[in-house]
Amino acid sequence: MKKSFLCFLACLLIGPVLAGQTIYRAKKIQATPSLSFEPGELLVVAGKIKAIGKSVKAPKGCKVVDWKDLEIYPGLISPGSSLGLAEINALRPTRDESEVGTHTPDVEAWVAINPDSELIPVARANGVTHSLVAPMGGMVSGTSGLIVLDGWGVEEMTVRPKVALHLWWPGHSLGLPQPQAPGDAKPKSIQEQQRERRRVIRELDEFFDQAEAYARAKAANPGKFDAVPAWEAMLPALGGKMPVMIHADELRQIKAAVEWAGKRRYRVILSGGRDSWKLADTLAQKKIPVVYRHVFTAPRHRNSPHDQQFRAPGILAKAGVPLSIGLRLGGWSAANQRNLPYHASQAVAHGLTRSKALASITIEPARLCGVAKRLGTLEAGKDATFIATSGDLLDIRSSVRHMRIMGRATSLQSRHTRLYERYGDRPEPKPR
Amino acid sequence: MAFNILTSIALTLLLPFSLVGLERKFTFPGEKPVGLNLHALIGADVQVSPDSRIRGGVLLIRDGIIETVRKGGEIPAGYRKWDMTGKTIYAGFIDPYLLTGANAGKLLDLKHDHHVVATASLSFQGTPSTRPDPGEKGPGFEVSGVHPERKGSESFQPAEGSWKNLRQHGFTAVHLAPSEGIMRGTGPCVLLGEGNPNELILKEEVAQILAFDPVGKQQSPPVYPNSLMGALAVTRQAFLDAIHAREKSLYLLRKPSPLPDLPHPGIRRLQEVLDKKNPFPVWVEPGSCLMESRALSLGREFGFHPVIIATGDEWRRPDLALSKNHAYVSPLRFPALSKLPDEEDWEQISLDQLRAWDHAPGNPSLISSRTKSLSLTTTGLSLGEFRRNLLQAIGRGLPEKKALAALTTNPARICGIESFVGTLEKGKLANLVVVNGESYFAKDAMVSSTWIKGVPYRYPSENHEKAKADDNASAEKEPEKRTARFPHADRKPVESPSSALFTGFKLWTCSGKGILSGHDLLVKGGKIAAIGPNLRAKAPKDCKIIPGKGMHLTPGIIDCHSHSMILGRVNESTLPSTSMVRIADVVNSESINVERQLAGGVTACNLLHGSANPIGGQNAVIKLRLGSGPDGMLFEKAPSGIKFALGENVKQANWGDKYVTRFPQTRMGVKTFFTNRFTAARQYGLRLGQARQGEGPPVRKNLELEAILEIIRGERLIHCHSYRQDEILVFLRTMESFGVRVASLQHVLEGYKVADEIARHGAGASTFSDWWAYKFEVYDAIPYAGALMHERGCVVSFNSDSSDHARRMNMEAAKAVKYGGLSEVEALKFVTLNPAKQLGIDEWVGSLEPGKDADLALWSTNPLDYRTVCRQTWIDGVLYHEIKQTREREARRSAERTELITKAQKSLGDGKEDGAGEEARQRFFRYSLETACDLHPHSCRSHGCNSKGGHR
Repeated sequence: MKKSFLCFLACLLIGPVLAGQTIYRAKKIQATPSLSFEPGELLVVAGKIKAIGKSVKAPKGCKVVDWKDLEIYPGLISPGSSLGLAEINALRPTRDESEVGTHTPDVEAWVAINPDSELIPVARANGVTHSLVAPMGGMVSGTSGLIVLDGWGVEEMTVRPKVALHLWWPGHSLGLPQPQAPGDAKPKSIQEQQRERRRVIRELDEFFDQAEAYARAKAANPGKFDAVPAWEAMLPALGGKMPVMIHADELRQIKAAVEWAGKRRYRVILSGGRDSWKLADTLAQKKIPVVYRHVFTAPRHRNSPHDQQFRAPGILAKAGVPLSIGLRLGGWSAANQRNLPYHASQAVAHGLTRSKALASITIEPARLCGVAKRLGTLEAGKDATFIATSGDLLDIRSSVRHMRIMGRATSLQSRHTRLYERYGDRPEPKPR
Repeated sequence: MAFNILTSIALTLLLPFSLVGLERKFTFPGEKPVGLNLHALIGADVQVSPDSRIRGGVLLIRDGIIETVRKGGEIPAGYRKWDMTGKTIYAGFIDPYLLTGANAGKLLDLKHDHHVVATASLSFQGTPSTRPDPGEKGPGFEVSGVHPERKGSESFQPAEGSWKNLRQHGFTAVHLAPSEGIMRGTGPCVLLGEGNPNELILKEEVAQILAFDPVGKQQSPPVYPNSLMGALAVTRQAFLDAIHAREKSLYLLRKPSPLPDLPHPGIRRLQEVLDKKNPFPVWVEPGSCLMESRALSLGREFGFHPVIIATGDEWRRPDLALSKNHAYVSPLRFPALSKLPDEEDWEQISLDQLRAWDHAPGNPSLISSRTKSLSLTTTGLSLGEFRRNLLQAIGRGLPEKKALAALTTNPARICGIESFVGTLEKGKLANLVVVNGESYFAKDAMVSSTWIKGVPYRYPSENHEKAKADDNASAEKEPEKRTARFPHADRKPVESPSSALFTGFKLWTCSGKGILSGHDLLVKGGKIAAIGPNLRAKAPKDCKIIPGKGMHLTPGIIDCHSHSMILGRVNESTLPSTSMVRIADVVNSESINVERQLAGGVTACNLLHGSANPIGGQNAVIKLRLGSGPDGMLFEKAPSGIKFALGENVKQANWGDKYVTRFPQTRMGVKTFFTNRFTAARQYGLRLGQARQGEGPPVRKNLELEAILEIIRGERLIHCHSYRQDEILVFLRTMESFGVRVASLQHVLEGYKVADEIARHGAGASTFSDWWAYKFEVYDAIPYAGALMHERGCVVSFNSDSSDHARRMNMEAAKAVKYGGLSEVEALKFVTLNPAKQLGIDEWVGSLEPGKDADLALWSTNPLDYRTVCRQTWIDGVLYHEIKQTREREARRSAERTELITKAQKSLGDGKEDGAGEEARQRFFRYSLETACDLHPHSCRSHGCNSKGGHR
């Protein structure tokens, strides 16, 4: 603990000296999910990767950082969280992740990131360098942004302010038809519930129809057009410039959403995706990426196999679905983002290959967020954003020792390490 | 029946509305004169009793009484002749459990919470015995729902509308059972006739009705009891109060007091129940399949012999729910299918729902074959379905004779009215059902008249035709075979060899020996017999050999904090001290979590009450013996324990603005509260001692203080939910002041700040690996806490508090290596030996040592490696999980579900579901208590801890 802190101090001190050119040597460098160098070298120039390989040609005067016992991986990217929006789940004043209203496309998540959230350094300490931060609440909840988990202010931390438009697909479950309130006259029958389902989908369609009408009207009258913020926020998604991230877990929802997206020719990402493995081939064929968020939720039915959700990522990846793995969204999981790699590793024991598991928390989410050219793998020309670990990244017993974000040494200290140090040093109290 | 018939007859004779010796009414002039009440029913087949039938019989009725039943013969003069050729006469049907009152017609449904009715804005919920139940008029009992003194006969009124309908279906008498409360009082048996209500009562009181109904949850804020285990504790305390009242009155005979001895009238009624010589009968409506077995055991505990009101779910665990020595009353409500709008909607339908649908019609036959007697009730179903469902039940194997008995002789016997009704014997009341044709149970049979006390109610034939058409639609079906399997059939051990030799494993002993290679482990008689190199020679001949091939064997995982297998609410969240409630009363042996956690290597867990109050309920340590009943899962030797809690949950900090009046609302108050209750318990102990030595009056056994007294005496372990360092320290000191050592601090997320003090006190620390920031008091939680506390000398465990985490506790243990750098050997102890120590069961489990229970988990590779899979799980030398077998079982279930969906869709297509009512269709979407609990996992991390199950 102390050692790592000293290391960190040393990095801080010599960091500026190395800012120009640095070679990192490591026991192993995982350049891409399927390519690694053992040992490996990584040349960083001005925050970018200049070269990578078993050994790279060292420029003159280049500093060398020798992590001979460590392994280097790309920084991890969480494909969705409430980091920075939610602090303490039980305390309403500390929560900003869920807005009211059913259709609020003009809500943007990045604007409410608290750069000093104690949760951010905790996630960082286990190798998470970036997170997509998504708004919740309602059916169209707004747009998510990609943030880097280090920086002095919200503008500095925002990598891409607008990554995806978020659509929470209406539920299709047929419930126990019972009155909602004691005053309600009659329970809702299955038929009524079916009508209700259709109505909600119709409303959803109408909303996007209206948005498209707005887009056409605007295109026809460029210049003198009185912009409406809500419709403006929809435009990038309608034109396919921005993906629509559809949150859906149930097979019926997923089927309906896929069909809907196909009809409308939108670019979509499926998020949640509890039952998506049942549609793996379709999703693969339509090249719809999936963010699987259910590795650690219980199977839906008592009759489902006990390891159903452990196996689902393996099934999806095998079918060729572009797979990211994430935690569920919301205040509850914001504090647990550091466990992102272990959601992926649990799937490895149940059929997901190690390289797909690595991809699911690095390059795949980078693709979703439109930053694959900069992030997600360690290749020449990309950002020098990486971590060094004591062993296999997916192994819980390993720990993250160093982090570089665009070549900059980044602190792995957190509320947790501070408290650990403070109380680790507590002198033994005198007996009473 | 466990009560004296003669007495009841004698009582009846004394009543003013006595049936014997009916007087003919002599009308005043001007009134319509009444004819001679003499009827001769001629030519019908008379089904005298389920076992005897007279073809072409003659039935003579005089003044409402059956005068003669014989085959043919002369009809004496003066009798009105009824040609009943081609008809069949049965004894009038009896419904033994027609619920009346506020919840009329509603059988206890523990599956879903009632709507909260806001009745009170302010409620001080101090401690038990602080005030009488405010909801009662007259002498109130201290908790709501206990009013055994209530007599339904006092407020009895004929309900003409619904009675007419019942008569038309052949019913002539009913037991009007009270529907409100836990100890509900009694109801009368009445005739469904018209006229003077006084002349309709057959029996004033049938039985004391108990229901395991957490009635307190219907109030807002809820009052005690709002949980199933609370309802049981209330029941138990009430019986103990009755016993105490008797002791006290005996004492007062010896030592008279100037004060009058006036036990509560309800308590006096319970004394009648407990009267060994002449006990008043008790009927119990348990509300779920497993609770039926609890009703039976409660009967054994207090010496009563209940009639059980079945739920229709007995197929879930017939071995537990049904008893050969007890009579059962079953509703005839079967869930029915609805057409689902989309093909995909069938995805939503679970195997359990389909099984419930497919088993339901066979359930009455199941009850009939496995109990002393079956009676049927119409409660809970719309009468329109009665005959449809009855015929389905017969189609599924309920013999017609048994069905008839279930409608006549059996209900008559359990209601204690068999001397008047139930058969067509001479001298009994002329209560008859006349049916067109040979049999009531024929597809197209129709009731042509119902007779009550000799008065006919006739149903014109045009009605018949219409009804007949309706009936035909549903009656065309062929008898069906059951497709669904019994859930119990495959929830059982894979194998139980008499001995087993594990050879070639890496043995994680979790003892001083560390990890052993090249050693064998021999299991005999459920125990670890030996560990050593090459034990093959020592192994018995038929010993099962399990070759390890480099795999890893560890002690079974022990989860020190679980709520995964509890029926009903995990919290009795009302009172600040609920030490009288017992998790052992509500263990859910049927939870799917048993299987899921076995598949993660878990062999034992500590089922804890929630953290809604400083003094919570008694915990239950169980072993995951799949297939055993709730009692069979209990870890017999585990010391008793109790859940305590500190901090935000107990001061209701996150419960909402309504919850601001219960003491305590601050951490100051929490400490005050403990001192108060422990002092009270100590004084209670002193009084008990005095009474035992004859120096004082008998002491009322107080289940709350009894449990706390056990703690003071060192007979009950405290497992205390705690977070902040100050509250942890103060709690330890408070307990020390009563000479109590705390067994485990649960969560103890700031325990690392006072690790030395915890270690010196000797409390275990059972924590989470890395949860934090879900509420304010855990903002300082750190993942290094486990390692830090361990280094300072605490016995540390990681627990799940989650049905998810419990499936992968080995991965949680790995975090002790990651955060704080513990050795792998020590890390694994966090989920094996250390929790065993905290629960006081390390003498038997937690490590691999000769003499200990053979509770083992077998891993494909290092259990702390993410690539590991638990291949086998053994408990007491019995194999409960074997990955291949588990997968096959899951595949069988999947196939069964597919088969049932095909059957369901066919049934819908064939119109077989058409006759069902809306309620039956809704029922299909309900979950039984045993399965509903799996859908709403509980965790003490959820901030309210009083929310009904759901958390995020």
